[in-house]
Amino acid sequence: MSGSRSKSVVLWTLVTIALVTLSAPTVVVLGASFTGGNIITFPPDGLSLRWYARISQASDLRNAFLRTLHVAAVCTIVAIPVGTLAGIALAKYAVRFEKTIQIYLLLPFTIPLIGSGIGLMLIFGNAGILGQLWPVGIACCVINLPFMIWAVTASATGLDPDLELAAANCGAPPLQVFFSVTLPAVMPGVITGSLLMFILALNEFLVSLLLVDARIVTLPVLIYNSIRSIITPDLAAISVVFIACSAVAVFLLDRLVGLDIFLKSK
Amino acid sequence: MRAARTAYPLKWRIMDALEGVAAAIWPARFRRATPYLMLLPAVLLVGLLVLGLIQIADASLRTLDTTTFQFSDDYSIANFRRALTEPLFLVVAQRSLIAALIVTAVTLVFAFPYAYLMVRTRSPGLRKFLLIALFLPFFIGQVVRAYGWLIILGNQGMVNEALGLVGVAPMRLIYNYPAVLFGLVQYMLPFAVLMLAPALTAIPEELEAAAGSLGANWVRTFIHVVLPLARPGFIGAGVVVLTLSLTDFAVPAILGGGSHDFIANAIYDQFFRTSDQGLGATLALMLVALGSILVGLVFALFGAGTLAMGRSRA
Repeated sequence: MSGSRSKSVVLWTLVTIALVTLSAPTVVVLGASFTGGNIITFPPDGLSLRWYARISQASDLRNAFLRTLHVAAVCTIVAIPVGTLAGIALAKYAVRFEKTIQIYLLLPFTIPLIGSGIGLMLIFGNAGILGQLWPVGIACCVINLPFMIWAVTASATGLDPDLELAAANCGAPPLQVFFSVTLPAVMPGVITGSLLMFILALNEFLVSLLLVDARIVTLPVLIYNSIRSIITPDLAAISVVFIACSAVAVFLLDRLVGLDIFLKSK
Repeated sequence: MRAARTAYPLKWRIMDALEGVAAAIWPARFRRATPYLMLLPAVLLVGLLVLGLIQIADASLRTLDTTTFQFSDDYSIANFRRALTEPLFLVVAQRSLIAALIVTAVTLVFAFPYAYLMVRTRSPGLRKFLLIALFLPFFIGQVVRAYGWLIILGNQGMVNEALGLVGVAPMRLIYNYPAVLFGLVQYMLPFAVLMLAPALTAIPEELEAAAGSLGANWVRTFIHVVLPLARPGFIGAGVVVLTLSLTDFAVPAILGGGSHDFIANAIYDQFFRTSDQGLGATLALMLVALGSILVGLVFALFGAGTLAMGRSRA
């Protein structure tokens, strides 16, 4: 970066404000989870792990977390084949009505979440499958599917059509071409996409809120319901579970494909 | 016998069988249709949303009989008339729209320098730090982040406790409009930066150097070179932030404390508090329309920006 002193002062001032704003809730939740007191105070009442001990005993929290994992797993397992195939099709072929299909596949982003959630709630209600977990996973998959497709199309630059032709020329039948040439070429996109789908489904709140009932609440919904009544440090300790998951996801993303791919221009 | 098996491993046999099945159900003469077959699952999955919209449209035309709590069998537009005339909904709609516009403007102001620094810095360490600081909150849900703000800004929160130590009376920092706006900006920043960054990467740094060597200071370089070239990024980021904040539920619910509801909260209340599914569906349909009109308007005026998917046409 080049430029004058005033440029870096202005840039750094704005970036510092952004950094503090971005990190403050995470840091504070982490800090609050180690508090020794019964309520969250500042400065904190000493350090302890008692709230972690408390939440590890609470079966409702553990079950809610397991349900959330279940939802995220369903979402990812459905999204991987569906999104990968669609992404490759869009990236590789001159499809008829390509623009229309693209706009259609962006519907999950253009329809507001509350609209998608209510619509799915009505459909699932009519189908009599509300109150189960897998429809919640499907719902999370639908609303975030463009992320998966986008990740795959973005990595399709690594896909050289000549390689596929060469493989076919050497006698590879279509499925083998797909699994040994096409799929490995877009693998970074598949990994990025599935990580995004998993972590977004893990955190999905509004659609969960609309689709779950009291027996199958997911963790974000449980936290939301508890926030409304009273703020205690055990909530902070549960929230740390999400912070940890997020940290793992960021680490994996960086290790497997590199965070820099989000900076690449198309 | 054994030699033959090692010469033709099991994996090959499985692949052969799969190829055989595939060739039987999808023969080579269907090849031209293959991309459509690959798109089909995604089209069907997204079709659930279309079905949902149809259901919502159907529900929006049925009115609730408050004496029997039954929905009418015949269609009427009474719900739409109510939604458009009741002052409450107008206030909520106005509040959400103004908030969305303010949040979009503020978010872009902070997202641009962040993305610029991240793209242009020569230090890989700083770039990684900025990326991690961006992704960590991005991957932590809205509820947890809003909870963090409650701890900081709440009536017995950190800021008020700290102010108390120096003798300042506690202030009400949450459950007001600025708190909702602030929470939304924080929620939107990662989205905006991630939409802006690729557009900035596409701008050759030499252009800035050239502007500088021709005598432009950095402010003029930004205004005349960087910002115009970053337009696709601003469009992408602007559309995403505008629509997501217009339709947000969690931040107004948690940081607004019920008194600063947005449209999504009003819809939720119609479904789950007053149980007027028809009116709730009407409001949902109008929100979908409003969002689509906004997106369509921006795309028609400025193009799809960084939101375009599919084959690159560079």
